[in-house]
Amino acid sequence: MTDATTIAQSTSVQPEGFRAKLPSGWGTAATVAAAWIVLIVASGIHRPDFLSHQTVLAVSFTMAIVGILAVAQALVGMSGAILDLSQPTALILSAAVVAWLLECGVPVPVVAIAGILVGAAWGIANATIIVFGKLNPIIVTLATNFIGGAVMFLIFQNAQAPLKSGFSDFGRSYFLGLPNIWWPMAVLVLLAGYLVPRTRYGRHMIAVGGNRFAAQARGISLRKTRFAVFGISGAIVGAAGILFAASNGPFAPAVGSTYQLPVIAGVILAGVSLAGGRGSIWLILLSVGFLSTVPTSLVFFGFSSNWQAVFQGLILIVAVAIDGFRAKRLQR
Amino acid sequence: MTVETSTANTSGFDRQHLRDLATGSVTSIAVTLIAVIVVGLSWVGPNFVQASNITIIGTFVAVPMLVAAFAGFALLGGVVDLSIGSMVGFSSCLCATLLGWGWPLATAIPVTLVACMAFGAINATAVVIFGADTIAATLGMLVALRGVCYLMAQPTGSLTAFDTNFYTFTNLTVGPLPLLFVIALAVIVIAAFIVTRTRLGRHVQAAGGDDRAATRAGISVTRVRFGALLLSALGAGIGGILYVGQLGSASNLTGTGLEFQVYAAMMIGGYSILRGGVGNPIGAALGLLVVAGTSNILDVQAISPYFTNIIVGLLLLAAVLLDRLRGGDAYE
Repeated sequence: MTDATTIAQSTSVQPEGFRAKLPSGWGTAATVAAAWIVLIVASGIHRPDFLSHQTVLAVSFTMAIVGILAVAQALVGMSGAILDLSQPTALILSAAVVAWLLECGVPVPVVAIAGILVGAAWGIANATIIVFGKLNPIIVTLATNFIGGAVMFLIFQNAQAPLKSGFSDFGRSYFLGLPNIWWPMAVLVLLAGYLVPRTRYGRHMIAVGGNRFAAQARGISLRKTRFAVFGISGAIVGAAGILFAASNGPFAPAVGSTYQLPVIAGVILAGVSLAGGRGSIWLILLSVGFLSTVPTSLVFFGFSSNWQAVFQGLILIVAVAIDGFRAKRLQR
Repeated sequence: MTVETSTANTSGFDRQHLRDLATGSVTSIAVTLIAVIVVGLSWVGPNFVQASNITIIGTFVAVPMLVAAFAGFALLGGVVDLSIGSMVGFSSCLCATLLGWGWPLATAIPVTLVACMAFGAINATAVVIFGADTIAATLGMLVALRGVCYLMAQPTGSLTAFDTNFYTFTNLTVGPLPLLFVIALAVIVIAAFIVTRTRLGRHVQAAGGDDRAATRAGISVTRVRFGALLLSALGAGIGGILYVGQLGSASNLTGTGLEFQVYAAMMIGGYSILRGGVGNPIGAALGLLVVAGTSNILDVQAISPYFTNIIVGLLLLAAVLLDRLRGGDAYE
């Protein structure tokens, strides 16, 4: 193995036939769903007023951006590129460009395309360094996040999409009792979850993540796959940036980093192996739903918002410990 | 498969090979440091090496260097500990709280260190026993401990714990050099001695370089990695306590982002956060001096500190590229 990451050592050394025998994620789905139900029931028993439309709105609002970013992160993970640590920069970069273009009076459809293109361009820039430098994606995206974050700070301290515009109204309105921004997330998760295992490109991506050498031997271009994965996941982050700009007040460049942990936790809880090659994107709806319920539940249990980070961190540790344990057992 | 070839190597050959890599990277980071000094001298002028400026750089870099000396063992053992930034913060907050309760230093310090190592043991259990992905698990701890810092520093966000003797001790100087900086250098030299000249150091290198080969050679990889993560927590604990001495207080933000500063500098100095077995504490110290020198030059010239991040990001990419060209792992 050329990539001697600890992650890869623990899982990706298995022969390919092993993966075919993996359960198709039902165990993971049942576990996460059970945890979510327990959380909701416990909160509901403790405080019956938890079970309200207000809670549903708070949870689905949080879910929207995290869910979209989680899809992008899942694609990166499934393709064997482990993690994209530069998502915070790409998110805010896209949101800032969107806000700025709207300020200039550019029509919304053009702005939306620009936002997606900014994200895609960022992803392709990462892929260029990764592919031509043959460098590990985690380190590359760590460095580009450093650089991009600093450049953004040099350019602006605060950005905001114009209030009282159709764009901002859209980001703050509801459809069928859920926030407008929740629906694109749900559609994206369902669409990506459907397409990835059923299209040739999706299967190529999973093959590269599972065993890049075997994939290469089968004639799949690693370079093209990397560019496609980072370009598409960048475009998805760009789309998240549009919704972020629509639904948020003034934002500083640093705010993007608050999404990093829930997104990674959501992806791992959904059973997506960071070592690549397995995972179902549909489960992101469950995992992100569960994670987004935690903050609201904590408030109802009387914990101050400072506890949120403690619980989020602990959930991630437990999730990756279970993930690691499962991988170890499969290896035996 | 390359797995076969790498496991077929004797660990002796691997160690020799890796030590060559380490010496190579120390050379290039030393050249980089000389370049920084030359730029400093020609741009800032002789004031750059003036005693007062050297004191400033030394004070700035002492604690990160100490933390790096300990964290280097985890990196070398192949288990990166991202939680060190928050661990420093937690240690500061706990130590300040205990001192605030009127505890003497002689009891506050050991209790703080034990608490830090207890959290380090949680990291180690998740990573080593359960086989959790190191980056994700310690990222969880990073967020959880930051939450704990916020809880401890309620409601004002800072804790005052001024101890005259401790303050005097941490601000002593030896000539132009702060005493803490001299101590940090001594610790780096000791760590370098352990890594390159002792059995223990070779075991850590072997466990990080190729865990299968190390296991076959009779080294308990589990024990080495568990110990390395405890050491890393201990180092961060010491760092946090020294910050309390230096500043006479702790805040919920103490140590924020320190993990990225330290690891970026260490990677510039020849470590890898993804693969163990490479890196030398001397390289880490030089890397930290390069970053500290760069940010000092920008500071003196009244240039935005964000440029430091841009330069660090670029240096990081250059360092990993150089490492790859020198024969390090290629990512494809």
